[in-house]
Amino acid sequence: MTNPSALASSRRLPQAFTSGDRVAFRFLDWIWTIQGSLPLAPGQSGDDAFGRLDPLFHQPGTSHERSGDTLTFRKKDQAAQDKMAVFDSGVLRIERVSAGAVLHYRLVSRALLACFLAPLLFLSFAGLTVVVAHLQKPSAEDAAKKKPEKKDVVRQLHPIDQALGAPAPEKPKKDDKSKDDEGPSPTPAYVFAAIFAVLYGVGRVLEARLARRLFRQRLLSA
Amino acid sequence: MLARLRVQWGAETTFVSWRAAQDRRSRGEHCGYGRMDGVRVGNRLVGTQAPVTIGWENIPRVEGGPVKQFVFTWFQPAVLFALIAFWYYAPNSIAKASTAIGIGIGFRLFLLALEWVNPRYASWQLTWKEAVTDLFYVGLGYTILGLIEGFIGSDAVIEWVQTSYDWSKLAWFTGMPLLLQAFLISFIFDFGQYWMHRGMHNWYPLWLPHSVHHYITQLNINKGAVGNPVELFLIGLGIGGFFDFLPRAALLAGAIGLAVGTYQHINVRFNSPRWWRFLFNTTEHHSLHHSQDFEATRSNYSNSWIIIDRMFGTCIDGEAELLGMEGGRRMSIREQMTFPFTEGWKTLKEKYGKDRYDTVPAE
Repeated sequence: MTNPSALASSRRLPQAFTSGDRVAFRFLDWIWTIQGSLPLAPGQSGDDAFGRLDPLFHQPGTSHERSGDTLTFRKKDQAAQDKMAVFDSGVLRIERVSAGAVLHYRLVSRALLACFLAPLLFLSFAGLTVVVAHLQKPSAEDAAKKKPEKKDVVRQLHPIDQALGAPAPEKPKKDDKSKDDEGPSPTPAYVFAAIFAVLYGVGRVLEARLARRLFRQRLLSA
Repeated sequence: MLARLRVQWGAETTFVSWRAAQDRRSRGEHCGYGRMDGVRVGNRLVGTQAPVTIGWENIPRVEGGPVKQFVFTWFQPAVLFALIAFWYYAPNSIAKASTAIGIGIGFRLFLLALEWVNPRYASWQLTWKEAVTDLFYVGLGYTILGLIEGFIGSDAVIEWVQTSYDWSKLAWFTGMPLLLQAFLISFIFDFGQYWMHRGMHNWYPLWLPHSVHHYITQLNINKGAVGNPVELFLIGLGIGGFFDFLPRAALLAGAIGLAVGTYQHINVRFNSPRWWRFLFNTTEHHSLHHSQDFEATRSNYSNSWIIIDRMFGTCIDGEAELLGMEGGRRMSIREQMTFPFTEGWKTLKEKYGKDRYDTVPAE
């Protein structure tokens, strides 16, 4: 359903760009933009279509401008409750074709771009954690010189707890101490990098569908 | 622009800074939003700037059949007592921090699902963008902030205090019954957090890092993590971690925090039992604390034990749907990171900068 040529004017790529650059940019652009098109009902005018979509652009932090068959909008500090909160700007354009009129839209989302880049940020945190853990690791010599350890005291439970059957505390195991000395772990950073990679995939598909559904519901609303 | 509050004094409606609102309020001038009369709670007039609901009798109940009513009435106490029983009797091989972390993550995932089943407000429903933003802050907490915390945060402070004082004098603490130890750890820590949080709402340098957290416009399970990292260090500096306690008591205290404190930021409607909401902080209390009404935000400071607010006269029983600052303006992550510093700088310039002398003298 995407019609890139219809929105070529809104891309504003400098003429100096080669066709290869343009293909590369279009591929990169896909990361943070959502494009699509919806056929209008037979006989539906551009005024009527934009009139039905108009409430979407009367949200706090949203400015919009209409020029003929093109509507551009921009959002700043949009509320979480805004149905188009995930988008920061966009262009909607109605084009007349032989079969009727079609609404083309191109929506830009910084949130999608940030989510796409988030795994890189968390991978860098993982790298930093590995470096810090390496620097913190005591050498064999330092470990040998380590201050004398405190005596491990086995504590007693209060008689009430003993009567109620709570397990008695054990003497700390030597193995546990060596685990403590390992320093910070990069595992959480790797996990979050993976979480954001998955979230990006979900968001890219979900938000495209939600935007399409929102426009369709508005255009068909009585 | 400085953080502004929309207020009305008499016929004058204006946006003023937090400090100006404080100054005028301290001079006894009541600010309010024209059409709202507000509700008098003790000496306060609450809900004059934004709608709030005051009093348990006015708060909606869970809608649905008897099974749903039963589940959403007894879910919170059942989980609390189940967790206490688990940590009290779990064998030593299971009763360790990694199990607690696993239970914590599993519980939060379950509560996320519960937000879809029985939301408190449709306007708080979690969207993809909100989920990603919240998880970004959760991720920071588990990674880079945790790393820094080990050097300069509460972990480092606790270690320094524990090595500079002979805490064996307090060894009697470990001889007390486990549940009493757990209660004291939880309560004393919350007591410290109460005063830190109250300080944040009353002293401008502390308010600056905390203000960012008040820009959230809805409550969801991970919203507690949203805020400027400076605040996250401050809020961790409570007391209570200094005692030498039994590990099992600490795990029990953590379970109380999980089974009570987690509900501060959640979009689920519960019929919390009367005794629960008398003792513990609830979503209702905390939504009022996040209200767009200035006076309402100056209440319900505690983390788990709302009874601390009752002790010091800052508890208001009620709830709010319309949350946030500056009329509900959502703050971007970039601004959340820089806001305390840019705002602090602007305030310093306003107070000490040369612009304040740029007035034309009268002829």
